[in-house]
Amino acid sequence: MKKKQVLAMSMAAVMAAGMLAGCGSGNESAGSNGPVGGADSTGYTYAGEAPITKEDGASLKILAQTSNYTNVDIASAEIVETVVADAGITVDWQLVDYANYTDSVSPMLTTGNVDADIVLLPDQDQNQTYIKSHKFVALDEYFSVMPNFSKWLDANPVIKAELTAEDGHIYYVPGTNVGKDYQPVLMYNQKWLDEAGMEAPETLDEFVEMLRYFKEHDMNGNGSTDDEIPMSIMADYLPYMFGPAFGLDIVSGFQADADGNVVYAYADSENFKAYLEFLNGLYEEGLLEVEYTSLDRDQVIERMSKDLTGVAFDFSWAMSMMYSNVLPYYDGTADTAFVGAAPLSSADYKGYYVGRVELGNMFGVCASSKKIELACKFLDYAMSEPCQTMYQWGIEGESYTVDASGNKSYTEQASDNDWLQQLGINPSFVFPAQQSVVSTDALVADWHAECNAWQQQFVVDPWPFIYSTAEESEVINTYMVDIETYVNENATAFITGTKSLDSFDSYIEGLDALKLQEVLTVKQNQYNRYSEALGK
Amino acid sequence: MKAETKRRWKKNLKRDKYLLIMILPVVIFYLVFCYFPMTGLYMAFTDYRIGSGLAGIFNSDFVGLKWFQQFFGSVYVWRLVRNTFLLSFYSLIFGFPIPILFAVAVTQLQRKGIQKVVQVSTYLPYFISTVVVCGMIKNFLSPSSGIINQFLNVLGIESINFMSMPEWFRPIYVISGSWQSFGFNSIIFVAAIMGISPDLYEAMKMDGANKRQVIWHLVLPSIKPTIILLLIMTLGSMMSVGFEKVYLLYNTAVYETADVIQTYVYRQGVQSNNYSYAAAVGLFNSVVNFTIVFAANKLSRKITDTAIW
Repeated sequence: MKKKQVLAMSMAAVMAAGMLAGCGSGNESAGSNGPVGGADSTGYTYAGEAPITKEDGASLKILAQTSNYTNVDIASAEIVETVVADAGITVDWQLVDYANYTDSVSPMLTTGNVDADIVLLPDQDQNQTYIKSHKFVALDEYFSVMPNFSKWLDANPVIKAELTAEDGHIYYVPGTNVGKDYQPVLMYNQKWLDEAGMEAPETLDEFVEMLRYFKEHDMNGNGSTDDEIPMSIMADYLPYMFGPAFGLDIVSGFQADADGNVVYAYADSENFKAYLEFLNGLYEEGLLEVEYTSLDRDQVIERMSKDLTGVAFDFSWAMSMMYSNVLPYYDGTADTAFVGAAPLSSADYKGYYVGRVELGNMFGVCASSKKIELACKFLDYAMSEPCQTMYQWGIEGESYTVDASGNKSYTEQASDNDWLQQLGINPSFVFPAQQSVVSTDALVADWHAECNAWQQQFVVDPWPFIYSTAEESEVINTYMVDIETYVNENATAFITGTKSLDSFDSYIEGLDALKLQEVLTVKQNQYNRYSEALGK
Repeated sequence: MKAETKRRWKKNLKRDKYLLIMILPVVIFYLVFCYFPMTGLYMAFTDYRIGSGLAGIFNSDFVGLKWFQQFFGSVYVWRLVRNTFLLSFYSLIFGFPIPILFAVAVTQLQRKGIQKVVQVSTYLPYFISTVVVCGMIKNFLSPSSGIINQFLNVLGIESINFMSMPEWFRPIYVISGSWQSFGFNSIIFVAAIMGISPDLYEAMKMDGANKRQVIWHLVLPSIKPTIILLLIMTLGSMMSVGFEKVYLLYNTAVYETADVIQTYVYRQGVQSNNYSYAAAVGLFNSVVNFTIVFAANKLSRKITDTAIW
């Protein structure tokens, strides 16, 4: 009997303890915002080069992402370990799964349940949510210990203007994307074009002619003219592909005219209607396939592997790394590949490609950290030039060599992408890494690198990254989701013909009813602020 | 009398102390994970300040019904409520009876080996991740290469663009959902049928009942309480459609029937860190669910004399 009592009591105790184990509350201690000295306790002053400190046992806690390669342990990758060791500290990594990072870290920051000195943000904080809740340190107050970062900002005024918050402070150290290289572009199956005896089209009319030819002929030579799908474009890329030919930036939707007046391209009663009429024509003729709204990249790749399609639109890197290499006849040359071309133009508008905002992953120093100065120094060092070289090229002698004139080239071993990833190349998951065109050129096929260099001339800057004030966030959050739902739904209905373009005027009236004017006022104010910061 | 009650209460407490200790973790579980978080509902009435932790819910500015007004001020609100309700309703109407019929059928199989194979093979789809299931649906239904459309073509029927036609979204959602879960959901009914005393089967056989009569007069009445219990519990999630599946299957062409409260809140509340808004819509959903469960329980008690409480 006694045994039973003991057993029952211990079971109950264990079960209760087990349940309470997950209830610990993340408690943040108040951060120290002491004076910025620069010298550490040993008297050593960091001036932008390694190490950042000579104190024994200096360490930082960093909350960041795992690699997107599941077989890569980014914390123990050689490049990452080298940066940390050179800095003269140790890092307690808190790595959250790459795929779930936003969903996992947003609630952590929201509830204040973060115990780290440096945090990779789950998003770019465009609404200044974290800034306004004083989660992160104003880094400009620590510029005396961040020589690399402040110098880099001075050399990149656009990024500096974008990073400057409403209160005039700079809170984050960003990684950067290449903005004008390897962007979403139009690409054609070169073999199909050659067989049709055509050059890559440059105007909408030439483009439609080419699609008709692809549709009516046995381009893949399998004896049937029924299986050719002239183009395989995912719905999200239609605005990139055709918008500019109608004078529209419908990628972000907002665009400024020469006088700096902001307009909403989806509300352009003339050009947007012409854009929809054109796409509706393609749809009715079977040149824009019926399943374009649900088409995904896997389906496009599958078609390419069966040589079923002639036109694609995607990020340029897909050209040789994803689309061409699945073609049954690809031999490593541009003649047998999907090759990038010029954007489409119309009689009224010269085409262009919409580039990408250069700002990538953002790193902030937690206001609750007790090592703010050390964290600032580390972020500064992590974005220094020697580190960026390491992020882009790896370890000298292992993944790249430097010739007498200082030119770098990848080693034979670096052509093994798996090995390169294990080395920790481009560790933007944990450091503010800057993407490099030169190192990307070295990774893709030669014809692809040449094509990218040529296409760069057609790429224009996208709608800029601009912080929103509290009032602006409120207006955008309240109205923009309904406006986007309305616009996307109607655009699809007009293109597929389920809604007649005769009702286009009532569509425009509907936009007014959704308070578009209030959103435009906000966007105009933001753009004015951005122009002012740029000194325009 | 009062002293007597107190004495009896003490006596019972002493007698059942180990049972009470055993149930303590369960009580703590519900307090910690269900009742305590309910205090967070207050967030729906405040402008929650990010990073202020749990205490921040109560320190944030009180905004009354602002988030509810914003939700109900959307031009899409009634479409969202309608779509959410109808997806759940059709899932219930078509999805609920299938596991019962399947359980009845599978328990009537004489060969135990076949019974096990059938059961296991129908459970398996339940363990396939939603992402994979949605990928399969898209591939199978593709107008250009999908197996379903190829089959239709063989029959001389033109390809149907299932994924871009609003009228097909609900059938696709309901049928794929039923396919994935009917085997797993039948487990509880199989267990209930197995629990019927063999003596009753014997008695019916002696009375000359055929299989149909056994099912109609013995099996179904015996599992009626289980059916009603599960039905009422299912009704409790009428306004809670699985977010991932809709999100992975829908596109702008089918918003008319596919955009549900959860996907809208994801776009409106979660993506812009507006947790107070998301809490307000969540509260609205819960109130509706609670009302439905309450009404269903009352109705069930009146009609069938069976109820959860």
